[in-house]
Amino acid sequence: MSVVDQLPGGIPNRGEVNTDAPIMLECVDLKKSFGGVPVLKGVSLKLEQGTITALSGENGAGKSTMMKIASGQYRPDEGRVLVRGEELPAGNPNAAHALGVAIVPQELASVLDTTVYENIFLGRERRRFGFLDRRRMIREATELLDDFGVDIPATARMGSLPVGLRQIVEIVKATSTGARVLLLDEPTSAIAEREVARLIGIMRRLRDRGVSLLFTTHKMEEIRAIADRVVVLRDGGLVTDAPLSTLTDDDIVTAMIGRELEDLFPERPEVRDETVLTIDELVVAPSGAPVSLTVKRGEIVGLAGLVGAGRTELIESIFGTRPVLSGTITINGERLRPGNPAASIAAGVALVPEDRKGAGAVLSMNILQNGTLPRLGQFSTFGWLKGRSRTAAVAKSMESVRLRSRGLDQEMETLSGGNQQKVVFARWLTADVNVLLLDEPTRGVDVGARSEIYRIITSLAADGMAVIMASSDLPEILSLSHRALVLRGQAVVGELDRDDLDDPGVQDRIFRLASGMTSHTKGATHD
Amino acid sequence: MTDTKTPAPAGQGTGAASAGAASVAPTGVRRFSGRWFGDLAIRYAMVIVMLLIIAFFLYRSARFGTPENLTTILIAAAPFALIALGQTLVILTGGIDLSVGSVIAVAAVYGSITAKAFPDNVWLAVVTGMVVGLIAGSINGFVVSVIKVPPFIATLGMLTAASGFAYVAGNGAPITGLPASFSSIANTQILGLTLPVILMIVGILGFAVIMRRTAYGMRVYAVGGNPVAAQIAGVKVGRTLFSVYAISGVLAGLSGVMLASRVTLGAPNLGQGYELDAIAAVVIGGASLLGGRGSIWGTALGLLLIQTLNNGLDILTVPAYWQDVIKGALIVTAVAVDVWSTKRRP
Repeated sequence: MSVVDQLPGGIPNRGEVNTDAPIMLECVDLKKSFGGVPVLKGVSLKLEQGTITALSGENGAGKSTMMKIASGQYRPDEGRVLVRGEELPAGNPNAAHALGVAIVPQELASVLDTTVYENIFLGRERRRFGFLDRRRMIREATELLDDFGVDIPATARMGSLPVGLRQIVEIVKATSTGARVLLLDEPTSAIAEREVARLIGIMRRLRDRGVSLLFTTHKMEEIRAIADRVVVLRDGGLVTDAPLSTLTDDDIVTAMIGRELEDLFPERPEVRDETVLTIDELVVAPSGAPVSLTVKRGEIVGLAGLVGAGRTELIESIFGTRPVLSGTITINGERLRPGNPAASIAAGVALVPEDRKGAGAVLSMNILQNGTLPRLGQFSTFGWLKGRSRTAAVAKSMESVRLRSRGLDQEMETLSGGNQQKVVFARWLTADVNVLLLDEPTRGVDVGARSEIYRIITSLAADGMAVIMASSDLPEILSLSHRALVLRGQAVVGELDRDDLDDPGVQDRIFRLASGMTSHTKGATHD
Repeated sequence: MTDTKTPAPAGQGTGAASAGAASVAPTGVRRFSGRWFGDLAIRYAMVIVMLLIIAFFLYRSARFGTPENLTTILIAAAPFALIALGQTLVILTGGIDLSVGSVIAVAAVYGSITAKAFPDNVWLAVVTGMVVGLIAGSINGFVVSVIKVPPFIATLGMLTAASGFAYVAGNGAPITGLPASFSSIANTQILGLTLPVILMIVGILGFAVIMRRTAYGMRVYAVGGNPVAAQIAGVKVGRTLFSVYAISGVLAGLSGVMLASRVTLGAPNLGQGYELDAIAAVVIGGASLLGGRGSIWGTALGLLLIQTLNNGLDILTVPAYWQDVIKGALIVTAVAVDVWSTKRRP
């Protein structure tokens, strides 16, 4: 018997929600808190056989927690999970696996030095006379891959595959062990567009075989492309659970953001009529178009676009960590020496980078040391670190962002994500900042700390900084910025003023600009 | 949450800290309890091991505790101390300098040649040794920071090449017939201590201050802790990396000349294998080979631990081969204790 035959048999219902289909997975009134903060506040959910359900919501809405409970990784405080009517022992991933629930996590756990077939058969190696039967494993793995229409050799090394294919190998592995419920946590967040199409094809194929899929996303286009049913979580509660066909995009977005939008974001500060930053015909990538931009005191300019559109590159070039190919940057009338972070810092440029742990802070050092680092010159005389004035200045700037810590000598490593991000902000505030560059300022920060960070951003702008903020979080761009630029392929493809940003159709418009699906690029600055 | 507080970092004036950070830092109240003692034991595990070893040798040998023997330990430690200081800086940046043993040899040979040529001006020999070390260290620094060859490989190359140079310079034979003025360098007495011992003490104190109290020290820690974050904070990462290898080279050069002066011989095999003892001292002292963590005091402690052990085992006439076995076990044990205690640390 071929392994393919062992795959769950199909009920070909092609995307139609069949109300008679058996319930494969049922979550009943799940509640979960972390450290007293409720993350799930009683969520119930049913997955029918052969359907794809999108689990949607903002960062911190409780999507990942929900999945981890359903796959037995977390134990719920209250509520239970039923797999085909059978109750899942709480917090037991092996039991979930045995009942046919598999999860493909956001951060893949593949062993990169192994081959594809070794990975697929990891933990259930085929043996012959006690020895590994590699030939059989390769044959069976090849059959499985062919079956999914994946054209990679079973002997390829995992590390040599792009992330998207590694993910597909993980899916093949999960389903070949007999999974009937497949949970995919942010499957498209780390993979290229071409690979998204392949992933979608595979998800459809699994659905046609009767597998129930639940995937988390906050991208409208993915929901439109494959979901049969949409479940939206907000602040740990379920706000929408309906077939896709009954929902409009606006319904879903409103459900995701809710009233929260007004509560979460503070008012935008007044823009002063004084230009701080002037970027003239700046080219940062060989394939890119020149970018020109001026930012005034108090102004927040949002940079929208997909991953790889050139937002980070633009920000890094202004800061000096990336070389500039041509064009000029001027701050308060002074030409900036490009490619030199120290010169940029001296000119009053500050950067809060995207990857907080990897780039923002030195985790092995304490708050005082991290707070000193960007302005070592200011805090030392002839190379000798100052004592009191340095401590006082860092303490003051940390206080200004309301950092919660045990003291300035607490190591960064032991702070929460939100507090780490506050240190990364506040360490610049020991001297005047003219231009504040933010790259995904709230990624990986919980909702509570996010609103605090928004307040920090707007109050810094109100103090007279010119702010450029790259973000993948559209509500962030829509609510905080005075203006937004949309980037694609290292070029500005659209500029939206405040009226545009208040337009109800703006999300769709930004998406179209960012993905290049449209011709109505009103106000495009490149030619 | 426990209530023992780590000592405030350098430069943190307590007045300013508690006034400025009042809302930020509720100062822990120190409570004397069994728990407190346990934390203390964890934090100072290495010191306790050191004291136990000393107690053991004192108990087993009457000679161990004499002032003469203490001097012997310090004199033996001195050449290791200089290279261990440089090695600490390199390891703090996440690198390693395998070449210091060979640099000692080249510096010793060239220093001896210079001393022979200018017997009336032997300080020239010291300068020569340090310049030779600076050249070797600068090449290491350049290859690591500009060409971006991994430090292990770059300095492994230098280890081999410099050793070759030491033999080439002396045509394969040691430089003998050195003037008495040269051998007197290492025997210069200041306050009853010989020059190499003075250099060791000054070096440890000096670098301890540099690493805690200067902008340079902070840059070294930052580059080792997270080079990307350091770059974004405006630290010139390449320049910092270059500097630690250059410093390591200069200190190895100085160590080489002192060693040659002490033994009155410019032997091309001087310093052979010293890099491993220096690395061991740094690691026993609690530094992480991944960079960003470690201290000069830790290295000094690790160095004294190794030298005390060498000395004590010699006095107890433990065979040399067994000494190596014991030293090897100590290195692993020390790091295991450190890993264990770091995990337990609040």
